[in-house]
Amino acid sequence: MNDLVQDALYDVIDPELGINIVDLGLVYGIDVDEDNNVRITMTLTTPGCPLHESIENGVKHRVREIEGINTIDLQLVWEPSWDPTKMSLKARKMLW
Amino acid sequence: MSGIKSDTAIKLPISFILCALVAFVTSLFILLVNSQELLAGQFRFPEIWMGAHFLLLGFAVMIAMGAMYQLVPVAFLTPIWNQSFGFVQFYVTVVGIIFLSIMLGINPSLAIYGGILTVIGILMFTFQMLKTLAKRKENTAMSHLVLAAILCFLLTILAGLSLTWNFAFGGMANHSSILYSHIAFGVAGWFTLLIFGFSYKLVPMFSLSHGASMKRAKPSFYMYVFGLLLLILSFWLNQSFIQPLSWLFLLIGFGLFALDIKEILTKRLRRKLDKPFHFATLAIINGWVIHVAAFFISLFHIDDPVIWSWLIFLYIFCWIIFSILGYLFKIVPFLWWTHKYAERIGKESVPTLKEMINEKVSGYLFIVFYVALFGILISTSIQSGVTLFFFLAILTVNGLLYALSIVAVLFK
Repeated sequence: MNDLVQDALYDVIDPELGINIVDLGLVYGIDVDEDNNVRITMTLTTPGCPLHESIENGVKHRVREIEGINTIDLQLVWEPSWDPTKMSLKARKMLW
Repeated sequence: MSGIKSDTAIKLPISFILCALVAFVTSLFILLVNSQELLAGQFRFPEIWMGAHFLLLGFAVMIAMGAMYQLVPVAFLTPIWNQSFGFVQFYVTVVGIIFLSIMLGINPSLAIYGGILTVIGILMFTFQMLKTLAKRKENTAMSHLVLAAILCFLLTILAGLSLTWNFAFGGMANHSSILYSHIAFGVAGWFTLLIFGFSYKLVPMFSLSHGASMKRAKPSFYMYVFGLLLLILSFWLNQSFIQPLSWLFLLIGFGLFALDIKEILTKRLRRKLDKPFHFATLAIINGWVIHVAAFFISLFHIDDPVIWSWLIFLYIFCWIIFSILGYLFKIVPFLWWTHKYAERIGKESVPTLKEMINEKVSGYLFIVFYVALFGILISTSIQSGVTLFFFLAILTVNGLLYALSIVAVLFK
């Protein structure tokens, strides 16, 4: 189920950068328990990112579409703060 | 961050921005029909006052207000104090600015009434922002810059109200000193400090820059504010050495800010910047060049009012207005995207912010703005009325196309 959630998050695109949130390195952790309750720990590129509500909604909407998912707990954290090393090579190439 | 809601209500900022676009085109049209006065360097002329106030109050101030209703929650992580109060403030300010600007053009002695209404609107706005900023969690160079900008805004309207009072009832000596203080507090204080402040948030955000020190932000702030105070002082004291010194501090302050922005952009992860954002950052170079020119002109004690009037014109257009025009192409798509697509992301395919604008067209518009401004400058230098009218006409039509291209975002 973890892989299914991660695959789903590839569909959530940061509308400013046009890159999905997994490749951007915004997703810190995905935990799914035996009852299919999902806990996603993620960050944003900057505190106060004006799109944070939209991206949070996008994550919840997309994960809810996965069959069998029970509850979704999304934790937005600022520690450790995001930095460019968390991006995938693909994301770096898209930006550069 | 949890529990803090980024205020993405769009109605209030969009209302300000749409009114501002109408004022922008109106102001350009007024300048066009008064091209002969511009050619003669007659800036202290009722119709030019009308155009200038439509441009600075109707366009630039309204945009700044609308943008602050969106950006302050983003930059300071605090919600707007009272949205309903914001709408009342919007209507009071719009009516005040329209009445003030029109009366300055057709009957300056009645401008005081529009001025009073405008002052009430601006006082409401500053009260709203101070209440909002009071809830901020930390003091940073950005908060210093924005708070100083708001203070300068209050001083600008105080000086402006004194001027309209003098038109209506007379009785105040030093009219010119008040006028120069009004201009300096407005353009160098309010607008410049505000652009400085928000640039420290917007430039790293739009360029995806990481690790810039921003170590010059505080020195830049102190230098610029000190330079501004010296400049104001120079208008009231007849000491010839003060003005070059004030411009030197303003130049250093601006230069430190520009160096910080350069460092931020050097450390960016996004190689290709959006054209509108690129245009906004180019305005910083314009601003710096104008500061260099002002310093040398004051150093050699060139007091020709025509030269200074054109320098102020270029400062307003090439630094303030160009910064606003660039950032507006980023702000409006964000507002509209949030309104239309925030609830649809993750459920269906939604456009990116870049797809909300026609970037190619924006690039052409920005080039034409530069060509028109350059043409206006050359036409004035060679005292050619025909070419001045031609380039002002290009500026006006381009301004109209710009406004329409912003409105077009609302149909995406």
